[in-house]
Amino acid sequence: MAATGKVLVILGLCLLPILTSADTCLAPQIKSQTYSTPEAIVSTETVLIAEFTLTCKNSLKNINLYADVGGRLIPATKTSEVNKYQISITDDHKKLPAGRYDVRVFDEEGFALLRKAQRSGESTDSIKPLFVLNLNHSGIWNGPIVQTEFVAALAAILIWWLAYTARSKLLA
Amino acid sequence: MAGGKQNKLSREEELLLQDFSRNVSTKSSALFYGNALIVSAIPMWLFWRIHQMDLYQSAIVFIIGTFISTYLVAYAYRNVKFILKHKIALKREDAVAKEIMKKLADDKKMTKKEKDERVLWKKNEVADYEATTFSIFYNNALYLVLLIVASFFLLKNFNPVVNYSFSVGSAAGLLALFSTSSKV
Repeated sequence: MAATGKVLVILGLCLLPILTSADTCLAPQIKSQTYSTPEAIVSTETVLIAEFTLTCKNSLKNINLYADVGGRLIPATKTSEVNKYQISITDDHKKLPAGRYDVRVFDEEGFALLRKAQRSGESTDSIKPLFVLNLNHSGIWNGPIVQTEFVAALAAILIWWLAYTARSKLLA
Repeated sequence: MAGGKQNKLSREEELLLQDFSRNVSTKSSALFYGNALIVSAIPMWLFWRIHQMDLYQSAIVFIIGTFISTYLVAYAYRNVKFILKHKIALKREDAVAKEIMKKLADDKKMTKKEKDERVLWKKNEVADYEATTFSIFYNNALYLVLLIVASFFLLKNFNPVVNYSFSVGSAAGLLALFSTSSKV
């Protein structure tokens, strides 16, 4: 009996690090910042960026995170700062219209479940993410409808036309 | 000419000649050059603030461009004024004559010739003033149209220095060219 107890303790001690590393982040607290492309004049594509710092109650550090943004799966990039991550999506302006984007962030476990659900063609909505970030994209500005120089040219032509008709009247 | 007498023109003839003369008075010349300088300096602002040229680095180009343009614009002012002046004189003749005659109606001492001379002088003055101001207005309007179209549309993709030189040069050049047209 004593020998069995010892074996179990040793086994437990050996398994402990594995169990801890696979542990999920408890009560995640997020500090996030988002960015989306504001205008199309100098940008060829729309970019959505979400940057966040994750703090777990069980002080987990540098875990792998994945994000699901409207069906796109992206791994969250770890930054040089501890527990700071970044998620970015780039696509054509039309494919990323204005609106609210839910960035669902998963850990390894959640991501595995998500992939499994995707493979079997099930809905991924029921899988609970670690947390959800809201990214508001206010849309892109395509520049003024009429170019300023066009307005200037039009005004100048109008004045010249007035001058020209006045001149024609004088010379008539 | 042998006869000095023949060269001497009567006052009336002198006034008539003035009507057709291409010469401009110093006052109107100053007005022309002053206005031409102002209108030629406008592109400097456009290329400095809008086309992002450096004011000091491009100072030489700006100064040369402004001076050439000033000369050509003033030349256009003179030509257009000359074409307009005679036409305006004909147009305003009746109105001026009527006004002067009305004014001098009570003056019984004045001879008919003197009155005609007054009319001629006044007509000349009115036509000169109107032609001068209208010529400035018309040429400024045309210059700005040519400049804007050239710099923003035709030479849009050129380097600003090339854009400046060609747009100012072509605007002033075309203005001078159009002014020589005697087509009525």
